[in-house]
Amino acid sequence: MLDDQGLCSGCLIHEEKDNLDWAPRWEKLTQLVAPYRSTDGRNYDCIVPVTGAQDSYYIIYMVKERLGLNPLLVTYNKYFNTPLGIRNLSNLRIRFNCDILCQNVNPVSVKNITRSTLLQFGSMYWPILAGQTVFPVQTAVRYKVPLIIWGAHQGLEQVGMFSHEHEVEMTRRYRKDHDLMGHEADDLLSIFDTLKEEDVWQYRYPDDRDLNAVGVKGIYLGNYVRWDPKAQHEQMMREYGYKTSVFNRTFDCYDFVDCFNYMDLHDQLKLYKHGYSKVTDHVSREIRFGRISREKGLRLIRKHEQAPLKYHGQFCAWLGIAPKSLQFMLDQHRNPKFWIQTEVGKWEFNGWSARHELREISDHQAPGLSGSFEATDTLEYDRSAEYITIGKGWP
Amino acid sequence: MGNHASVVHSLRELNYRVRVSNDQAVLNEADVLVLPGVGAFPSGMKALHSLSLVSYLQEQARLQRPIIGFCLGMQLLADASYEHQYTTGLGLIPGEVVPLINPQWHIGWNSIECVLQDPLFQASDGQVFYFNHSFAYRGPSEYQIGLSRHHKAFPSVVRRGSVVGLQFHPEKSQRPGKELLKSLISGLCHA
Amino acid sequence: MLKKRLIGTVIVKNGWAVQSFGYRRYLPLGKPECLVQNLDRWGADEIFVLSIDRSSGRLGPDFKLLGRLGQLGLGTPLIYGGGIRSVEDGLQVIRLGADRLCVDALLHDDVEIVRGLSRQLGAQAVIASLPLSYRDQRIEWLDYRTKVSTQVSAKDLDAVTLGIVSELLVIDWQHEGQPGGFDRRLSAHASLPAEIPLIAFGGLSEPGQLIELLSQPRMAAVAVGNFLSYREHAIQKIKTQLIGMPMRLPSYESMYSLTTDV
Repeated sequence: MLDDQGLCSGCLIHEEKDNLDWAPRWEKLTQLVAPYRSTDGRNYDCIVPVTGAQDSYYIIYMVKERLGLNPLLVTYNKYFNTPLGIRNLSNLRIRFNCDILCQNVNPVSVKNITRSTLLQFGSMYWPILAGQTVFPVQTAVRYKVPLIIWGAHQGLEQVGMFSHEHEVEMTRRYRKDHDLMGHEADDLLSIFDTLKEEDVWQYRYPDDRDLNAVGVKGIYLGNYVRWDPKAQHEQMMREYGYKTSVFNRTFDCYDFVDCFNYMDLHDQLKLYKHGYSKVTDHVSREIRFGRISREKGLRLIRKHEQAPLKYHGQFCAWLGIAPKSLQFMLDQHRNPKFWIQTEVGKWEFNGWSARHELREISDHQAPGLSGSFEATDTLEYDRSAEYITIGKGWP
Repeated sequence: MGNHASVVHSLRELNYRVRVSNDQAVLNEADVLVLPGVGAFPSGMKALHSLSLVSYLQEQARLQRPIIGFCLGMQLLADASYEHQYTTGLGLIPGEVVPLINPQWHIGWNSIECVLQDPLFQASDGQVFYFNHSFAYRGPSEYQIGLSRHHKAFPSVVRRGSVVGLQFHPEKSQRPGKELLKSLISGLCHA
Repeated sequence: MLKKRLIGTVIVKNGWAVQSFGYRRYLPLGKPECLVQNLDRWGADEIFVLSIDRSSGRLGPDFKLLGRLGQLGLGTPLIYGGGIRSVEDGLQVIRLGADRLCVDALLHDDVEIVRGLSRQLGAQAVIASLPLSYRDQRIEWLDYRTKVSTQVSAKDLDAVTLGIVSELLVIDWQHEGQPGGFDRRLSAHASLPAEIPLIAFGGLSEPGQLIELLSQPRMAAVAVGNFLSYREHAIQKIKTQLIGMPMRLPSYESMYSLTTDV
């Protein structure tokens, strides 16, 4: 969103990273968490949602090593787990020596929801987004551990919805509006006659009275620490053995190594629906951090945006649909603003990265930056590319 | 005029089946007739006349069908109103509708006081509801179940037999509104 | 007793709910209907949806948005402002489910239309929005479309409001979005028609400030916007800080409790 000077909110808010004085902000954070420390050591100080990727290592490092809190880790089984992600998660709790709780929602319900939301919204990620954002809150209520500590606030980092100084906290409204694309668990029941209450109740947000009775409060470290995912991941790779992987569809090797689909099929859907994909988000971030130029960024986008999928076969097998049916479903969600069907099965892309006035920037070669993100492993890790639907056999 | 969505939604949330209609055949099927309403009295009556619902509603009241009016819907139950010009109403509850004076309107959340014993409203005594009006009912005290006070007291709940009028908007009064509707409808239906 | 109100405000620009700062900087928040539904669940006393680009763009009221809000089946009264050009526009806004409407540009353009709205709907349904600023002990009234502020007298304001509207929304537009920024000299100013109750908006966030404003007899309500999006249960938390004021108590909805002892 642009202001009356034509400045984009995402860039404006990003500038705060270099303009704010972070030392007093850290002080604020330590004061904020102080009352939540368990005095008798009989309960956890806070809950921290984790996965085998993204910022989990850095968040735990901050919470445990820097703030000295005793967290209960919670993780939601997303089913599309990569061996590397399972390994990273396992290594995380060993290296930081933490207790962890895992939520496994039954496969029948997860597949029912995935099938319905894929068909209707063009989203295969609803159960994962819903599960990752609700299980920590349910755990806070059930275990009576009111403080939940998240990493960066996505709305702040990408779009600039809030200033760091607003010190925005976790809300049900944001989750519904953005994480869940406007549809909470019970909304699905009125949209789909294919779903029943027994399929979705696990994804219900705790009600207001419960949240208030326990005093649940979710905070974001990114409001108090200068958040830089690349630098943070590299520190975690060096110091705590976080492992990374190369991706076809982006140059960032760090963010989504725990999932076969996020940077694959899910990313393609994003391109179909919105006319840009994750690589554009990554490029915008790196441009804002001043690590790459606009031109280099555009080359990277051109290189990765249309890269072929690698793991959609596994998804078809998991959901029990034929690849052709999947493609048919996906095509229903191509946004006509960005895609023109030229003949049966052939589509022409018309997103912003393909715009004519940008063409003079050549699309051969995308050198430079890809080397500065380091892939230390592969998603498959020590085995073949198959979902690890539950983390059996890992230490 | 007015929007029925909120009324329909709040009644459905209470697990009632709701239909919006001006067709007497449909209305005949219902256990309770609800007359919501926003706007001015004369145009409200004009609409009821043009839909041939005036004599229908009068007949239904004689048959002791439960009828509930909200806000303007309540005022329409009276004999007449002075809003804009003197206009006769449905005449289901004796009394007239007169302008509020000093201040000329009553907007916001206010409590009701039950001044006559009525089991349908006892649980709502002292609860707070949303009002938005500049005219109010004036009539015999035997029909005044509940009062509200702005600068002066005025009747906010009226009842004559199976006909009930609420000056406030229960459908816009959050939980207290829903609780009152539930008690009111189940009470009228099982009377 | 009539309660004073805490109004949850949703500013809409280009179809999106936004945070607005000083009438010139905006940060996107999300879908207006998500914010409105949330304020309804939190138990705001009234919800105010203000589409700020409808009049300047000559687009008329955002009927599509009103239609979507109508579908929510709100249990909370709704005020709509933005783009109302005629009596027919105002009637349609009410038909689509708003309980009251708020006019701003129309007060500059054609007060007879506002008078017409008031005659058709009753003055209780009409609110006048006045973006004001304070200079040299006088108040200035902003036409937000031209960004021009003009000094106004009591007579000027009487002419566009007395007997026409039921409440004045006094906006400190310069301090909008600034914590504790509202300039109380605006709402206390002698140029405001004394007979009409006030709603204060713009830079309202601090409990002490809210208590002071709500203690003024003519202050019927306070409206809060940006600050409601920063934390969970923002409405209830503000109300908890205002206990003792003549207001409805905070309430927390319960549908599916996870805890057996609730």
